[in-house]
Amino acid sequence: MTSETTVLRAMLVDDEAPARALLREYLGSHPDVTIVAECANGFEAVKAAAEHAPDLVFLDIQMPKLDGFEVLELLEPRPHVVFCTAYDEYALKAFEVNAADYLLKPFGRERLADALTRVRERRRAAGTPAAAVPSPAALAAAARPEGRFAERLLVRDGANVHVVTLDALDLLEAQDDYVAVHAGGKTWLKHATLAEVASGLDPSRFVRVHRSYVVPVDRIARLELYAKDSRVAILRDGRELPVSRSGYARLRELM
Amino acid sequence: MHPLFGRRFGLALYALAWIAAGILLGELGRLAVPQPRPFAWLLAVPPAVVLGMSVLSAWWLCRANPLQEGRVGRAVSVQLQAAAAMAAAWAAITGAWGVVVLRGLRHDPAALAAFGREWPLVPLALGLLAWLLSAIVHYLVLGFEATHDAETRLLEAEVAGREAELRALRAQLNPHFLFNSLNSINALVGSDPEGARRMCEGLGDFLRRTLALGARDDVALAEELELVDRYLQIEQVRFGARLAVERVISPQAAACRVPPLLLQPLVENAVKHGVAGCVEGGTLRLVADVRGGALVIAIENPVDPETVTPRGAGVGLENVRRRLDAFGARAARLDAVREDERFTVTLRVPARTGEEQE
Repeated sequence: MTSETTVLRAMLVDDEAPARALLREYLGSHPDVTIVAECANGFEAVKAAAEHAPDLVFLDIQMPKLDGFEVLELLEPRPHVVFCTAYDEYALKAFEVNAADYLLKPFGRERLADALTRVRERRRAAGTPAAAVPSPAALAAAARPEGRFAERLLVRDGANVHVVTLDALDLLEAQDDYVAVHAGGKTWLKHATLAEVASGLDPSRFVRVHRSYVVPVDRIARLELYAKDSRVAILRDGRELPVSRSGYARLRELM
Repeated sequence: MHPLFGRRFGLALYALAWIAAGILLGELGRLAVPQPRPFAWLLAVPPAVVLGMSVLSAWWLCRANPLQEGRVGRAVSVQLQAAAAMAAAWAAITGAWGVVVLRGLRHDPAALAAFGREWPLVPLALGLLAWLLSAIVHYLVLGFEATHDAETRLLEAEVAGREAELRALRAQLNPHFLFNSLNSINALVGSDPEGARRMCEGLGDFLRRTLALGARDDVALAEELELVDRYLQIEQVRFGARLAVERVISPQAAACRVPPLLLQPLVENAVKHGVAGCVEGGTLRLVADVRGGALVIAIENPVDPETVTPRGAGVGLENVRRRLDAFGARAARLDAVREDERFTVTLRVPARTGEEQE
């Protein structure tokens, strides 16, 4: 079997039933495309992707729970993406996250056929250079409105997605390839580096006190000198964190 | 600061005018007390310039004591006192300067004696006159500015009102709503051609009503609600069972006059930022009643608890507020409250059932 005839396993993600019906109808005339799942919101999409590992996702942007960019941030491995939306203002972001195409509603059969051609070409050129696949941090940045900081963190736990609002966040802790997200007495593991997660946070609210810790400034009860040139931060919940020299400098600027 | 100080050219021109006045005064003085021209000018010009600059301070006094009804007497008395003080101060200055020039520089006892005969009556009279003239001119300028400002404010309010109306109209013809509706029609053409036709008809009807209502100054709430119904019918094709609508409208409320296209953007927000953001959708509630002479309209929708802020909703609300202001409803109010998973916008407008006003 050559890659030309390889089946494309596609997933349709749109909260409007007519929009999904239209894609289904158009895709009916492309025998190499099989629809493996249809989802009406971001949570369903993440769950279905974990189950079916699709090659291609048709993704609406404005949806309940998670928007299209947030869904993309949580998909591993990354499928090819074709955005389908009535809004043209996300085209640049879509380009930044390396989407295969961007379909503006309403679109016709030919336009969809073009998008599929692009996806097939990308597959043929397989072994996409790693540099072309944006990091989760770049995807998360693309998901945010221009010039604004993140308001929530998304954590995937198998097929489930947890939304942690930043007001509830107690502490971020680096653990190898993961970041432990502590919030409201619970802990989730997010597959990212601490630097990636920290880059999306408002630096006036969250401070990296140490290589391995990011903490909300208002959670810090006090700082204690523990040896010469070495400090610990005592959090309101009693937790003690080491404070590095550069972390102390950042803290002093804020407090 | 005095408006003249902001304009260097104006201030220079003003100073030149006073130098000219000083020269004139000097020439008049020569008629009374003959003496060489340079000394006459030296005697008159510096005090004239000092007087000119000093009477500019009438501006602050005029601003602090405006000629308002009931306060005219007070303003006049303040200005007279200031004029007297000014005249006295200026007489003292001219007297001292006269002594310096006529005794110190020229040493002409005869001229000094002649000068003494004119002093202090002439400088007192001139100082008084100068201050009062200045006060009158400043009051005229301030009065002119006040009317000008009032006119500008009136024009600005009018422009803001029209702008808000235009924006409402444009928001009405929200392109994304049209694009999504066209996409739904596109989908229906394949699966349900009869439904596609119905939706084309509905969309056409909605657009025609929007344009017709937008051209009027006020409409009955019932008419506005008919438009809202058309809109919701179209959205129900897109969202299916996720969008449920509940209406509780009292007959008295339905007859009240409201600005056209006032509810439409609020209902659109309720769908876009509320129901559309919930996985299971929800019920949009429209309630209108007349209570104590006020028409109270509430639009209530569910919101997803994890939504941080309804993106862009603030602009819509601000727009509605401006429309209410432009409608001349001083007593009108708009409140937006989010309680856990419900978002409610409440409008209060004076209940009027009169005919359309042109």
